[in-house]
Amino acid sequence: MLLSLLLLIPLLGALGLVLWPGAPSSERLREISIVVLAVQTVASFALLLPFDAADSALQLVEQARWVHVIGLDYALAVDGLSLPLVLMNGVLCLVAAIASRKIENRPRIYFALLLVISAAVNGAFLAQNLLLFFLFYELELIPLWMLIAIWGGANRSYAATKFLIVTAVSGVLILAAFLGLAFVTGSIDFSLRPVLAGEMGMTAQFVLMGALLIGFGIKIPLFPFHTWLPDAHTEASTPVSVLLAGVLLKLGTYGLLRFCMGLFPDAWQLASPWLAAWAAISVLYGSLAAIAQTDMKRMVAYSSVGHMGYVLLAAAAATPLGLMGALFQMVSHALISGVLFLMVGVVYVRTGTRDLNVLRGLLNPQRGLPLTGSLMIVGVMASAGLPGMAGFISEFLIFRGTLQPFPIATLLSMVGSGLTAVYFLLLVNRAFFGRLAIAPGEVVNPRILDRVALREQVPAIALSLGVLVLGLAPWLLSDLSEAATTGLSLINGDLS
Amino acid sequence: MTPISASPVRPPVLPDQEELIRRLLSDTPLLADTRDHLVQVVNVLESYGLVLDAYSKNLVDQGEKQMLNPFPVLRFFHEGFNPKRLWTHLMGDRINFEYAEYCQKAMFWHGTGGLDAYLDSPEFAAACQQIIKRKSARDPLLALNNRLYPDFAPEAIRSLTTIYCLGLFWRVMSDIFVDLARRYGIKEVTCIKDVVHHIRDGLVAAAGSPIEYKVTIGGEEIWVLPPEAGLTFLMDVAVPYVEAVFFRGMPFLGTVSYNAQARQISPDISDFKYGALYADPIPSMGAGIPPSLCMQDMYRHLPEELSLWYDENGRGQTDVHVQICISFQKSMFCVTNAAIAGTMPHPLDAEDPEQKAANRAYAESWSGRLMGCQRGALLAPD
Amino acid sequence: MTSELPLPIQTAWLIPLYGFAGMLVSLPWACGAFRRDAHRPAAYLNILLTLVAFAHGSLILQQVIQFGPADLSFPWLNVADLELNISFSLSLTNLVALELITGLSLLSQVYSLGYMDKEWALARFFALLGFFEGAMSGVVLSDSLFQSYFLLEMLTLSTYLLVGFWYAQPLVVTAARDAFLTKRVGDVLLLMGVVALCAYSGVMGFNDLYAWAAQDSLSPLAATLLSLGLIAGPTGKCAQFPMHLWLDEAMEGPNPASILRNSVVVTCGAIVLLKVMPILQLSPIAIGVMLVIGSISAIGGSLVALAQVDIKRTLSYSTTAQLGLVFIAIALQIPVLALLLLFTHAVSKALLSMSIGGVIASTNCQDITELGGLGSRMPATTTAFLVGGAGLVGFLPLGGFLALAQSIELLSVRSVPYMAIFLLTNALTALGLVRVFRHVFMGSSLIKSRRAAEVNWQMALPMVALSVIVLITPLMLLRLESLEGLLAFPLWAAALVVSSGLVGLVVGALLPLSKAWSRSLNPLLRWWQDLLAYDFYTERFYRLTIVNVVASFSRLAYWFDRKVVDGLLNGVARFSLSSADSLKLSVSGQSQSYVLTVLVAIVLFLTSVSWFLT
Repeated sequence: MLLSLLLLIPLLGALGLVLWPGAPSSERLREISIVVLAVQTVASFALLLPFDAADSALQLVEQARWVHVIGLDYALAVDGLSLPLVLMNGVLCLVAAIASRKIENRPRIYFALLLVISAAVNGAFLAQNLLLFFLFYELELIPLWMLIAIWGGANRSYAATKFLIVTAVSGVLILAAFLGLAFVTGSIDFSLRPVLAGEMGMTAQFVLMGALLIGFGIKIPLFPFHTWLPDAHTEASTPVSVLLAGVLLKLGTYGLLRFCMGLFPDAWQLASPWLAAWAAISVLYGSLAAIAQTDMKRMVAYSSVGHMGYVLLAAAAATPLGLMGALFQMVSHALISGVLFLMVGVVYVRTGTRDLNVLRGLLNPQRGLPLTGSLMIVGVMASAGLPGMAGFISEFLIFRGTLQPFPIATLLSMVGSGLTAVYFLLLVNRAFFGRLAIAPGEVVNPRILDRVALREQVPAIALSLGVLVLGLAPWLLSDLSEAATTGLSLINGDLS
Repeated sequence: MTPISASPVRPPVLPDQEELIRRLLSDTPLLADTRDHLVQVVNVLESYGLVLDAYSKNLVDQGEKQMLNPFPVLRFFHEGFNPKRLWTHLMGDRINFEYAEYCQKAMFWHGTGGLDAYLDSPEFAAACQQIIKRKSARDPLLALNNRLYPDFAPEAIRSLTTIYCLGLFWRVMSDIFVDLARRYGIKEVTCIKDVVHHIRDGLVAAAGSPIEYKVTIGGEEIWVLPPEAGLTFLMDVAVPYVEAVFFRGMPFLGTVSYNAQARQISPDISDFKYGALYADPIPSMGAGIPPSLCMQDMYRHLPEELSLWYDENGRGQTDVHVQICISFQKSMFCVTNAAIAGTMPHPLDAEDPEQKAANRAYAESWSGRLMGCQRGALLAPD
Repeated sequence: MTSELPLPIQTAWLIPLYGFAGMLVSLPWACGAFRRDAHRPAAYLNILLTLVAFAHGSLILQQVIQFGPADLSFPWLNVADLELNISFSLSLTNLVALELITGLSLLSQVYSLGYMDKEWALARFFALLGFFEGAMSGVVLSDSLFQSYFLLEMLTLSTYLLVGFWYAQPLVVTAARDAFLTKRVGDVLLLMGVVALCAYSGVMGFNDLYAWAAQDSLSPLAATLLSLGLIAGPTGKCAQFPMHLWLDEAMEGPNPASILRNSVVVTCGAIVLLKVMPILQLSPIAIGVMLVIGSISAIGGSLVALAQVDIKRTLSYSTTAQLGLVFIAIALQIPVLALLLLFTHAVSKALLSMSIGGVIASTNCQDITELGGLGSRMPATTTAFLVGGAGLVGFLPLGGFLALAQSIELLSVRSVPYMAIFLLTNALTALGLVRVFRHVFMGSSLIKSRRAAEVNWQMALPMVALSVIVLITPLMLLRLESLEGLLAFPLWAAALVVSSGLVGLVVGALLPLSKAWSRSLNPLLRWWQDLLAYDFYTERFYRLTIVNVVASFSRLAYWFDRKVVDGLLNGVARFSLSSADSLKLSVSGQSQSYVLTVLVAIVLFLTSVSWFLT
């Protein structure tokens, strides 16, 4: 019942928002959705109580017949892979709601969509039926598209359309693969069973896995399917960017691990050298493209392309350690990109620009945004994989887990990790160091920037603390998921 | 949540040199004479006066008690030492006397004017030797030190002499500024022009006061700056101070690189443009900006009127130190203005063409220097 | 077993935490929690914590001398086949290094109170110093390669933040960035080595690694790559060619931090190198590389130091040179010698750095050609420079002399060419120091040094204290039993060292000084002068090579992104929606086209699947 609650709470919350009597103010709607999401987050953390970390099997299974005739059944369960992602979804949706200040344009729909996304993502992480997964996967798509198309920036129409078309193709490929699975096996049982693939030939496995790979590759996103992401981020508002980077991209990597790897282990292992190469290219490409950016937000967006590439690398190796690293990377990337997008958002709202050729000296203690700058430094250092923060643990686990099977790809990815420092240092040093100056040509005083209240920074501070806690006490996460990632791995841990 | 639009700030029109000369010769204040300026200048000068009072007492006390003390650990306790004072001092609940020493160092290092010249005179050297002799008699370390490093003690005495003189100078300034606030309170000062006149009159009145310095060592009184030296307040201390602190200053580590190969700092210190009138207020309270200490001291003594005014301007209390710095720079322009007016060779209403020409030449030379300063501070913000 | 250890040893894990705690307690002030008060309490608390760290370290040192070394280990992360521990090795060497670090950190923090007395952001500075000290203490006590890497990277971060302390200064902006990136290159290469070692050996503790390395199961290529990776990190940390650039850049930071960087940060790098030395023995090529790096750094660094006019940079390049000697000693597998050199270098260089800090504080100038005549006026500063310089070069009977004489003796039986490099470096170092001394302390005073009183007591006191320490270093070295035989060098070795120092001294004293820093008229000489003054154009070389390559590739990637990937995507979109204007469709039209796309794609896909399978 607990798992269904995770879907019901936000969905009922969304319904409640739509039906709320009178004309509640944007602030009131925000408060309601914060409460709803807080309850949902607490409920998801409550999963930790009944959850047995030592058990690699699915737990808290909930099943019910639904549209059984087409194989769509209601089946939810949680394991060590999905549990941290559900927790992460709760936290980041809450952060996004808190960051959604001053939504003047149709706030009721905005917050309702936010809650629907939260429910859909929970559903996707928990679904144990392929069609049910697809349903939730698509359910998250339309609200996000609307969030960009309606509440986005000036060029939102282009970005939203691009997002819609590209991710629709992703959905189509995934659905087609799932249907193809039924087509090939001749069964309409869509429950998630790894044995499925054993019943078909290698060619069919490759075709179906390829479809899933591209489908999820678009979502992750991997080179060359990534260009929708920077556009979507630049046009999306800050909370939507936090959701997009923190939660929605993880659906792609989750699908990669759960479905591509989990359903087609034989094909996956055969393809793994190519996948590792793909991962390395994606990492390097994302990092290099990020260096060329002058828009802070685009830079952070491209960094996601690079950092999600590590997950593919780990999945390709499919060692227990690598998969733990992959999960760690998903969680830490969510936290870190949350901090980065929130801070970019603060700077954008205060200065009206994200252009690194214009911004200077924002660390100025009284006229600038010193706390924002400090949190930004924490964020970029975590992203660059500095020890003591979550990003380092995930990178170390991944690299350690993939070096033996794919030494070259791993070393190239490490170069990519080094490049992260390059572009993020450019960002920090340009925008935050130096003398405060906002508009070129100013002579007397720069225009006074609006103050940033401490409570506005609370979400980012909380996420930063999370980054530090996971970096110093990584066992908090690894103990939770070790059984599951080991169970998922295709390769015995003892290689040497 | 839409961001504010980014439009470039229109550069304001700064007064040109001709305008500066006109203002100097027509007894018009350099600073735009507005109500906001008056509130800022009078109140910031009051808090500065209170701070200078503490600085001055401390420096004078140092001059009297710290002669050739190798470890002047308690030099900031001019009000007497007790454990409670030590505790508040350690907890940072105190005036930052370090800034007073910083100004002293600027004055000492730039070394201009009559005081500095006297420090190199044979009379001064003789006084130094006398002090060293008396001190060495019971301080073998100093005796040894003096033998190995013969210039150490005289240089230390020179430095302490500057400390003492700066203390005397600030005593006068503190009284002028506090009195200004009193007259503002009883509506005797109602515009910037009155402010400039008040300071000018105070300076002129004190101009001829003698600067003397005497220390007592082992019961013997030794004149460091004897009356015969003929040093006076305005020309020998005030003008070098203005030169060293208002104009030249010392480069801030927080904004200028000391790297020799980068050549950011002029080899000729008379070219320096790091003083208060050139300063950029925006980085105040950042790292490597020594005047931040002074801003903090003034912040602790800020009159309520000004504090309330700051609430309504800038970012309110968030950037109050930057606002203090901006107001402080404006008030320093008033002080400079008063100093120029007080040292004008002839009265401004002189009719004699020769006198008028002399006045104009004087105004020209000053306005030339002012041209490079932060003239934006003279404008009333729109 | 742990319970039998005395309490100070049991709690040795606290030592790095003192520094980190110093950072944490400074945060309230650094974040502006006390608006009315100065930030000094943060400084006092940090000094107190460092004092505690030093005292705790001394207790452990005493007990270790009495009862022998001890190890501490705590599990940290256990995932799959990976086992990472927090472990400390309380050996005599490590503890001496720890005391060196905490002691110098303590002195430089007291020094900072004076040097930074007009600094408002004092709390942030001390927080960073605490972080710095914590990371360094952890590195020297570390008994695991993973932990060493972990802390070395923290050191990189704190170097970045300390160099960037004056973040509003234009040159700091680029210096902090370049310092971080240069170190980061070394760190990433080191990470590659660490990950590879971890993957192939499965262990991270140094003793386990030694045991694994002794089995020698790696191919020569793998062993060489691994060793090169391990060398890269310390090469960066010790500011060795070609990764020495950061130390020059780091001189934009506050001087008290430069004291630590010039002395103990480089020592940390060398100690990590010492700890991985048994693994490096797998690869003769790596040993060769280390010798080459060390030799180039020693000679090149000394020469570049000679051409600098910036007083801080004259010292930083001499650090590169001295650490080059340490590299050679490590490569030749004479750890005792490396430690001896490190210790004497650290104390002397710290003292020299304090002295030049005093010069900068009282003259506001770093250009040696603009200074002069300070010698007779600044007793503590001048003494510190003289004692520090004497301790660094082979001046009878100070630490540097003992270390060098020992080196000559040990090298004479191993490799005469390296003996020559040691002597040459010593001569060049002496020459450089005499040059600086003549410029700054002798001669007539120039405009910027005309009025310069001695520095305040918070700076003078640490200088005097450290001068005494440098003077009694020989006695301290003699007391350490592990270094016995310190005086067992022949007379000719002593004579060689002394005469090499004397040659430098005499040449330095006779060389004409040019106050106007002008380039020579002789084109050949000018070419050399520029080459050395600009550090062999290393920075330009990097800009033309690595920076250029990365920048070009990044532009290429972005161009590819917009033109090829996006172009293709837009083309496909146009094609699939059969409308040239498809991407600008109205919102209502989009849902329809979406459904259409979905349907078309499903049909296409199912057709292709069935085609594949039949």
